[in-house]
Amino acid sequence: MNTRLFLCSLPASIFILRCAAWLVPGRERAEWLAEWQAELWHVWQHYRRQSAGCFRGCPEITSFCLGAFRDAFWLRWSDPRWLPRRVFRTGSASRCSLCLAAWTAMSLLLCLSLPGARKAIQPSPYRDGDGLVTISSGGYSGAQLPTIHFRDYQSWRAGTQRLFTDIAFYQPILKRVHVAHHRGAELSIGRASDNLFKLLNLPTLPKPVDGSGAPYDARLFLSQDAWHRFFGADLRMIGSVTEIAGQRVLIAGVVSQESWQLPGRVDAWLLEDGQHLARLPANSTGFVLARMRTSRSSPSLDGWRSMYVRGEGGSNDRFDCISLAQRARLPFSIFLFTLIVALVTLPATTALPLGEYPRHNGRLPWADRARQWIFLSGKFLLAVPLVSLTSVDVAYGIHGLSPTAAQYVELALSYFGFLFAFRWILQDQRKRCPTCLRVLSNPARVGQASRNFLAWNGTELICAGGHGLLHIPEIPTSWFSTQRWLYLDASWGSLFPEAHIAGLI
Amino acid sequence: MALEPKLSHTAAMILHTIHAGHIYGFSVMEATGLPSGTVYPAMRRLERDGLILSKWEQQSIADAEQRPLRKYYKLTRAGVATLQAMHKRYPLLQKMIPDPQVKNA
Repeated sequence: MNTRLFLCSLPASIFILRCAAWLVPGRERAEWLAEWQAELWHVWQHYRRQSAGCFRGCPEITSFCLGAFRDAFWLRWSDPRWLPRRVFRTGSASRCSLCLAAWTAMSLLLCLSLPGARKAIQPSPYRDGDGLVTISSGGYSGAQLPTIHFRDYQSWRAGTQRLFTDIAFYQPILKRVHVAHHRGAELSIGRASDNLFKLLNLPTLPKPVDGSGAPYDARLFLSQDAWHRFFGADLRMIGSVTEIAGQRVLIAGVVSQESWQLPGRVDAWLLEDGQHLARLPANSTGFVLARMRTSRSSPSLDGWRSMYVRGEGGSNDRFDCISLAQRARLPFSIFLFTLIVALVTLPATTALPLGEYPRHNGRLPWADRARQWIFLSGKFLLAVPLVSLTSVDVAYGIHGLSPTAAQYVELALSYFGFLFAFRWILQDQRKRCPTCLRVLSNPARVGQASRNFLAWNGTELICAGGHGLLHIPEIPTSWFSTQRWLYLDASWGSLFPEAHIAGLI
Repeated sequence: MALEPKLSHTAAMILHTIHAGHIYGFSVMEATGLPSGTVYPAMRRLERDGLILSKWEQQSIADAEQRPLRKYYKLTRAGVATLQAMHKRYPLLQKMIPDPQVKNA
């Protein structure tokens, strides 16, 4: 008997029904299975009468039996005692918490999958990053552009030993690179002083020598991305020699993309000794990186310092020394700042009280009260990473957005995101039953607006579990200023049979 | 004010089919052309809402015909009232599956 015939056979059909029966709640299972088996018998007879000769089943019968799964699942889902139904029930606290957790997890996954966003949340890749600074003019936005003249770098290198233990220069330039067996590729090359990698604590090999025993003048390190994109991750090219800007250059290795978190898009780094770098025009601009000299009074630099240099005209030129560690912490600092500002401004946008909940003669156990506060805290704890990760995803994940623009986008998104999230959390909490934490339903208008001074006028919501009624005044008055909860006693239980079965009352 | 019953077209069609004399699941499937995975859950929903009633046939009848016991469905009073309202909402129902009175005539 082949598989298809076996699947259409009567034993297979009965087996399908028995499998589906496991989904049916236990107390209904026997009757459910009896009905489906009786129906199967009639279906079988029906198709047997239609066929000529020996009947061994047909796909229609299998399809009939597979429909039993849908029926069984419906019965299971309709069972008010079933735990997943209670967990995923519309408006339940567990469903709300799971949705928030799922969104947070999705934001985190998105953040990890977008290279820009991943870089923003990762700690600084540079060891001992506190002493490392970028020197620029024009603050954070200036640090994103090459603003330092090469002549300034040359003069600082000689005259700032008191301030810096080491100082490096790099300048992104576009150059076409030709390597044997590969087509030429136009790369953004960071033309840098040969102490750059040492300053960043990136691993470099000792200077190799050429056939005559003299060390190469310049070494080229490719970024992992450029190595894959332009040269197909060809291992043979490492150690080969090419020519860039009229000098022989050794392709010395590949550097991980994660290792570079400095301003400027760079596909490769051309490390040159001082003699060759000095060929750069004096007024060409680049980036300068330095390691601050630490002392007992200030063991590390954490933040921003200004450096004043006497210019040619006698005036003092101001330069900003911004810590790399602080730059790496900037997304977190923005998140912290917006969180605090959102918390401070929240009372100006919405009322903070959750409403009046009268004492309930000890009926409401402390566990229920604790659950209410745990749920509220849980929502805050899930909303904070959700908003911060989403703002990082949008701000740093969008390709082509400048770092300064990304910081402003993160600032705006996280502030408004926090404000919206906190307002929603409070509003959501007010619309929930304090006992079962389900969202209240069936809003009904009570009273007339014209009789506001004589009688109560507002909206009444009810808990589907029969725990109580919520009265929300249309116009807050001195005797009814905020929403008020009214507990229902057990005598109301007969109106909420499903809640009674589910053990909610 | 009477509450307007809310039934989907499929549920109304099944209700009408049962009223038309197709009183067990497979018969409803044959009359409507709907699959088993739609017909049986819909009948359970109608039963839960009190629009139809199910009843097992007598053991003696099944024994005499040498077949397993079968479950039959019929409309309740509320089901009949709902069906009348549904006829107004879905006028083509009666044309799709004729009423028993029309069949007998």
